[in-house]
Amino acid sequence: MIEKRFKCPDCGKVASHSGMPGEIKIIYCPYCGSKGRARLPELKHIEDLAIEVSGLRKIYGDLVAVNDISFSVKKGEIFAFLGPNGAGKTTTVEMIESIRQPTAGTIKLSGKDIKTHFNDIKKNIGVLPQEFHSFERLTVRETLVYFSKLYKKRADINKIIESMDLKSCEKTLYKNLSGGLRQRVGVAISLVNDPDIVFLDEPTTGLDPKARRDVWNVIAGLRDNGKTVFLTTHYMEEAEYLADHIAIIHRGKIIAEGSLNELIERYGHGSLLRIKRCKTDDAVKTLREKGFDASSEGNGNIAVKIDYKDRVLDVLSNLRHECIEYESIDIRRSNLEEIFLQLTGAKLTGEEIA
Amino acid sequence: MRPSVIATDFVASIKTWSRSKGTLFWTLAFPIMLILIFGAIFSGIGETEYTLHIQDLDGSEMSRSFIESLNGTGAIKTKIVTSSENITSYIDENSIDRLVVIPKGYEETINKSFIDQNTSVNLSFYLDPGEQTSNQVVISVVSSVIQSFNMKLTGGRNIIGIEQISTIPEEFTFFDFFLPGMIGFTIMQTCVYGSIERNTKFRKDGILRKLLTTPITRTEWILSKMLFMLFLSFISTSLIIAVGIIVYGISVHITPLMIIIIIAASFLFSGLGMLIGRFVKDEETADTAGGAITFPMMFLAGTFFQLEMMPEFLQAFARVLPLYYVNEGLRNAMTYMNQSEAILNTIAVIIFASVFFIAGVLLTKWKED
Ligand SMILES: Nc1ncnc2c1ncn2[C@@H]1O[C@H](COP(=O)(O)OP(=O)(O)OP(=O)(O)O)[C@@H](O)[C@H]1O
Ligand SMILES: [Mg+2]
Repeated sequence: MIEKRFKCPDCGKVASHSGMPGEIKIIYCPYCGSKGRARLPELKHIEDLAIEVSGLRKIYGDLVAVNDISFSVKKGEIFAFLGPNGAGKTTTVEMIESIRQPTAGTIKLSGKDIKTHFNDIKKNIGVLPQEFHSFERLTVRETLVYFSKLYKKRADINKIIESMDLKSCEKTLYKNLSGGLRQRVGVAISLVNDPDIVFLDEPTTGLDPKARRDVWNVIAGLRDNGKTVFLTTHYMEEAEYLADHIAIIHRGKIIAEGSLNELIERYGHGSLLRIKRCKTDDAVKTLREKGFDASSEGNGNIAVKIDYKDRVLDVLSNLRHECIEYESIDIRRSNLEEIFLQLTGAKLTGEEIA
Repeated sequence: MRPSVIATDFVASIKTWSRSKGTLFWTLAFPIMLILIFGAIFSGIGETEYTLHIQDLDGSEMSRSFIESLNGTGAIKTKIVTSSENITSYIDENSIDRLVVIPKGYEETINKSFIDQNTSVNLSFYLDPGEQTSNQVVISVVSSVIQSFNMKLTGGRNIIGIEQISTIPEEFTFFDFFLPGMIGFTIMQTCVYGSIERNTKFRKDGILRKLLTTPITRTEWILSKMLFMLFLSFISTSLIIAVGIIVYGISVHITPLMIIIIIAASFLFSGLGMLIGRFVKDEETADTAGGAITFPMMFLAGTFFQLEMMPEFLQAFARVLPLYYVNEGLRNAMTYMNQSEAILNTIAVIIFASVFFIAGVLLTKWKED
């Protein structure tokens, strides 16, 4: 059985379905119920791996920045490397890009070892370094032309400008661009050689929500064009929205890996029902007696873990039976933030995400 | 190595440079401003009154009345040189700009000319060709006095004439000294700060990391940047020379050695900038470090003032500074025309350039840790 994510054409929500490789089946959107036909992808073979990393280590003095990690990225997927500040994301991605020298481990891109084949590999990768800031006094178009002339194989710059939605600023000097546009130009630069694999190191850090969405759309478009995307981020929403496959890195180690649904299934707790403004002690006592996993969250709120949806009604009817009043309820699915918290006891990010 | 890649990067550098008012100012306007400021300070003194030295070998009534008439114009001040002086050595020793010799037999010849229509007498006029403008003034004053003498004596026939003799001054003007120093100084500033920027700002901005993942090679990158540095060096040199010629009328000789020194100096100071950028990672601090190295060097290496004006130990120190050899080499090659010294200076500059540039390239960290 394999699992495939899809975006519902009617309600726009992302869900997943599973089945045998290559199987064609009728699927239903779990959010709006609309129906459609989909085909599951063929099983991936080893030749279909864009990136293979094994036993990768990087030591700085006493600090083990990357601690013996192994993973692989399939061709054509968006792979998110998710972790908090200082987790070792940039160190890892820059070792893959041959910018930093690993202490140990092997890295293969499209089956070729980067130690021996990097000059070849260079032609087929596109890189956006973290906090990249291009030449200030070249226009967007000049910048793209500059970088494309470094390569023999060149993509059509007009098409890149169009697909990255940069037409309106192509004559603007880089230094006069907003942060969001700069990042889009950065992504555009990484495409000038029509690469197979694109590396984006924190492409949306520091952007406002609107600009972040725009960059997300651009990145999602890369996958549609058949590119493999290796994305590092510390925004769990970014990984949830974009990634086919997520690796969570913490203190130089990969602590969890899989598709979003796999991660939630494996490490999440289903959904959480929150009952607001009730007599917490009574409510928790009542629900625990009935076998629910309930706990007080303070402020008169309690949280109850729900493994399937009918249980919500059970909880509420139990409360009514005991005449426990409450103001409101809400139900939330587990997310990466909670998974991260659960795995590490630490928060992924202090920043709010829109 | 691909020429097209080098050309692409070179053109991008020029575009970037020409679009930044700041860099245009420092590479073009600033040196010119300095020249003009120094020019005003050093050449504005006492130029409203022109001194004319006169040696009166005749010592007669008529020669004295001629000198009197010159004084009477109010435009020039005469100074008498005793007739026992040897003129050529006197001019050399006292750096005389203009000197007129009234020959022995001046009065006698004039008296004779009333009878013999064909006799005439010539005054010898020694002129420093480097003092074009003031010479013009003095020559026209002297000519008009002679003219009025001729009128008075004969009604227009030329008895008295001038024979111009150019002196070859041992002492050069301040600008012959200063202009080459200005060129050396400007090349140093441009190249040191240029490489500091590439090694700090470009690193911080991720441009160097980005380039590591593209097919551009280190050789292509260094070559195109050096090409750009040479472009800047030659542009500023031409501008400085143009200002020197137009404003101060100095005579400059474009010699092969001068070109070699400019090229070697560009490599030398680019290498120095790389070394600074290598050890001081932060851009602003690196700029400060660059200033801390180039600013004292500018004073100590005899850019604005002759080394002889400084105490012994500073003079000795100057002789280990690369800029000293660049400045001296340029002076000897383009204004003093001292070929043998120029060759020695050029060799010194080339040695410095090789050491600094090779060390710069080798020690620069191209990859990240
Ligand atoms: N050149 C270096 N020398 C010493 N330590 C380093 C170096 N580069 C990174 N580190 C350390 O290695 C760890 C991992 O850093 P890295 O930059 O890979 O983290 P990151 O996940 O990319 O974080 P961020 O979200 O802040 O970009 C950090 O503790 C960092 O301080
Ligand atoms: Mg990072």
